[in-house]
Amino acid sequence: MELIVTQIRVIVALVLRETRMTFGSSHMGYLWAIIQPLVSISFMVFLFYIAGRQSPYGASLALFFSTAILTLELYNKISVSLMRAFTSNKALLTYPMIKETDTLFARWTLIACTFVIINTLFYGGLIGLGLADLPAHPDKLILAFLSTCFLGFGIGTLNAILYQRNQVWQHIEKILGRPLFFLSGVFYIPSNLPPQAIAVIKWNPILHLVEWTREGYYPNYESDVLNIGYPLSVATIMVLLGLFWERMTRKQRA
Amino acid sequence: MIEFDTVTKIYNVKNVRKVILDEASFAFETGKNIAIMGHNGAGKSTIMRMMAGIELPTSGVVSRDEKVSWPLGFASGFNGLMTGVENVRFVARIYGEDSRRVLADVQEFAELGKSIDLPISTYSSGMKARLAFGLSLAINFECYLIDEITAVGDRRFKKKSSAALHDKIRDARVIMISHSESTIRDYCDSGVLVYQSKLYYYDSIDEIIADYRKFC
Repeated sequence: MELIVTQIRVIVALVLRETRMTFGSSHMGYLWAIIQPLVSISFMVFLFYIAGRQSPYGASLALFFSTAILTLELYNKISVSLMRAFTSNKALLTYPMIKETDTLFARWTLIACTFVIINTLFYGGLIGLGLADLPAHPDKLILAFLSTCFLGFGIGTLNAILYQRNQVWQHIEKILGRPLFFLSGVFYIPSNLPPQAIAVIKWNPILHLVEWTREGYYPNYESDVLNIGYPLSVATIMVLLGLFWERMTRKQRA
Repeated sequence: MIEFDTVTKIYNVKNVRKVILDEASFAFETGKNIAIMGHNGAGKSTIMRMMAGIELPTSGVVSRDEKVSWPLGFASGFNGLMTGVENVRFVARIYGEDSRRVLADVQEFAELGKSIDLPISTYSSGMKARLAFGLSLAINFECYLIDEITAVGDRRFKKKSSAALHDKIRDARVIMISHSESTIRDYCDSGVLVYQSKLYYYDSIDEIIADYRKFC
């Protein structure tokens, strides 16, 4: 019990510290952290909007993109930020009760919380502008969000270990992550693709998370591709593999 | 008590194999103020890091049943971008202490004045050491691990530190690494010599200093 209390205390302290480190000392700093992705996502949505494209699904192009981009951004942000969690927090390991995995949990918590705010503001904004209705199945939306965080944690942990072993990993990761934007159904309905294309892109777990988010937001969106078990099992395997590997290599890395 | 049970610690740096400890078993008994001596590079700091629990042995077990500090040395866990106050609050938080009380104690001891609100990267090494030392005194550990910093700051501050440390070791104890015989005589009542990957215990400071002179 005491161990759990210490653990929670350490993670809370680390989250506060991470907030300070990432966003600077002013409250404005945290505001920027929310505004910056908000603006970049809005810009992307706006670009597609003025390109005059018909929404692939539903009346609102903006909502269709947002469901995908917010999910993809959440995943990207977590998996990339966790990559440097070990290397940028070396000094912290002076304190015996802080373990490297705590730095992962802290970053992850911070990003997840930030994205809760970003999602609320973004969807709220769309609803306010009349570009979206209230989500039809909030429970599904929340589960899809949590699963995205979960997958991000797994991949992020592996990124952290690989990056610490060899810094070249950051470039490889970038190359591997690049196609995700096109493979995650951002501007098309995956179910409408030819079967040969579906057979390939269905291996992308983020596509499933995007589809899950859409099924959560729209009242009648039905995906032929979505298999909830798939992203969840990939995430579970990645998390277990990451934590196991971290544990096994702890002595070498110290 | 901090106990080493058949602890082996080996470093492999770029194919150079370095044995710090070879199946060493030893109990650093509660209440004893212990000096750790050995030649440069014998692995004293690594041993202290294992005592604190921030480094794991290659094999064997290190256990402790008292509240042990982090090793107080030149390298601190401070984050240069954060201010003194922020760093102090962070440490108080992870140890579950009242951060206002800790901050007040540190401020009084370290005498940093307004600098405490500046980022640590603007501090001199002496200021950093004062902050680190004051902070560890404010946390109330049962065992202080000190890695060669008892003499920081000017003469007046040295006197203040030594008085504070003497005051502390009435309820707590120290395990310290030092090459200074006078410092060791001042704080310690027994010693451990690190020699050829083994630990040797001495009940008297005179004996360990004699052997230290002979072997190291």
